[in-house]
Amino acid sequence: MSVVVYLKKFQPKKKRDKTQMKQIVSATDTAYGTLNVKVSGYDMTVVEHYSQYIHNLCNRLGIQVAESYALPTKSTEVMLMQEQGNKMYVDAVLKTHQRVVQLSSLNTSLCPVFVDVLLKNQPEGVQLSVKEHTEADFQARFKARPELEGLIAQINQ
Amino acid sequence: MVSRSFPQLLTCYNRTAVGSAGCRLFSITPPGRATPQSCAAVERATSPWTLMAAVCLQRLPIITADYSPIEQRFKQMMQQMELEKSLLSDHELRLIEDAERMSRKQANEYDSDEEEGHGDQEIMLAQDLEDTWEQRFRSFQPAPRVRADLDKDLTSVQRCLADSLVLLAEQQVGAEKLWLLPQGAWQEGETLRQTAERALCSVTAAGFKATFLSNAPCGVYKYKLPKAARTESSVGTKMFFFKAILADNAPGTAPNTALLWVKKSELQKYLKPAYMMKVDHFILSL
Repeated sequence: MSVVVYLKKFQPKKKRDKTQMKQIVSATDTAYGTLNVKVSGYDMTVVEHYSQYIHNLCNRLGIQVAESYALPTKSTEVMLMQEQGNKMYVDAVLKTHQRVVQLSSLNTSLCPVFVDVLLKNQPEGVQLSVKEHTEADFQARFKARPELEGLIAQINQ
Repeated sequence: MVSRSFPQLLTCYNRTAVGSAGCRLFSITPPGRATPQSCAAVERATSPWTLMAAVCLQRLPIITADYSPIEQRFKQMMQQMELEKSLLSDHELRLIEDAERMSRKQANEYDSDEEEGHGDQEIMLAQDLEDTWEQRFRSFQPAPRVRADLDKDLTSVQRCLADSLVLLAEQQVGAEKLWLLPQGAWQEGETLRQTAERALCSVTAAGFKATFLSNAPCGVYKYKLPKAARTESSVGTKMFFFKAILADNAPGTAPNTALLWVKKSELQKYLKPAYMMKVDHFILSL
């Protein structure tokens, strides 16, 4: 009777890699490069459903979707003047939700059809914007680390 | 609301957008690219077709369309289901607490020592807040959704706020005046999109702020001249359509030609049948 023994190769524990940015595709003669389709509004369900609709539409039309993420929610306080007196009081808190669908490339011939369908299906109270993706947009998603920046400034001094 | 015929429309667009217009577009590159070669005299291949560009300027809907009866019933059912499944909000909890406190006060079992934490809330009850909100809501007068007199006026850009409208202009083509999408002839050294922009400015002269959706056309229409008028250099015309969206609703100056804003269903009354068939493909009736 032969005995077969399997030995597991020893692998050192991997350190988590720093989040790398996906390569920004540049525009060619026939296609736009990496585009950010940003959907923003006050009503979260409507904004999320619309961004899901855009994602599904891209899948159906064969447009490559690079990423689909959310930007942090911005809170706006609406302050009104009191009827008697000079003080302002908080009337309402409005939260602006933002969702981004990042497309890796969009054919110029498909572009008017795609944008027309998006505009005609845009729900009320939702703003749509289509812009090119830049490195600054990617860096804006990270939280600022004040202690690290302070230490780096100290080293540089 | 995505209509049921959307999948059919999709295939249509792929064909017209990619198939017919694709190859032609690349031959119209700006002349700066051509390398000058002295030996082989490079002659621009002159084709017998005149090129023209037209612009399909759309005004998007401003208000939502009215619900159909089934949609209304479904909406009510969904709202009721959501209400039944939902939890009470902070405001509603406050209302209930205040109501209980009032009833306890009236029943003379009120012990002010127990209710210490609610001193400031006694001043402004949740019910009072609701009353003030209700009053402010009633004093708000929204603008009317549908104005029958504006709807009938075909030249007004504010008509039919729930539908998307297309701009039509009356232009002289050959011997007769026809209603068509504003068009202009292509000149040397400009791209077709620039031709379309020029056509919009010159034909309407009304200072419409339009955002063109792309450099690629969305449709094409070609017609041959009647046999009598055909010559060596002009067999017919190829017309490329470009889509644009109206940016703001207030026209700056008065137009110099007759302009109409029509819905897709009304297009048939104004356009010629062959032209209408091609235009029908790319105008979305969503």
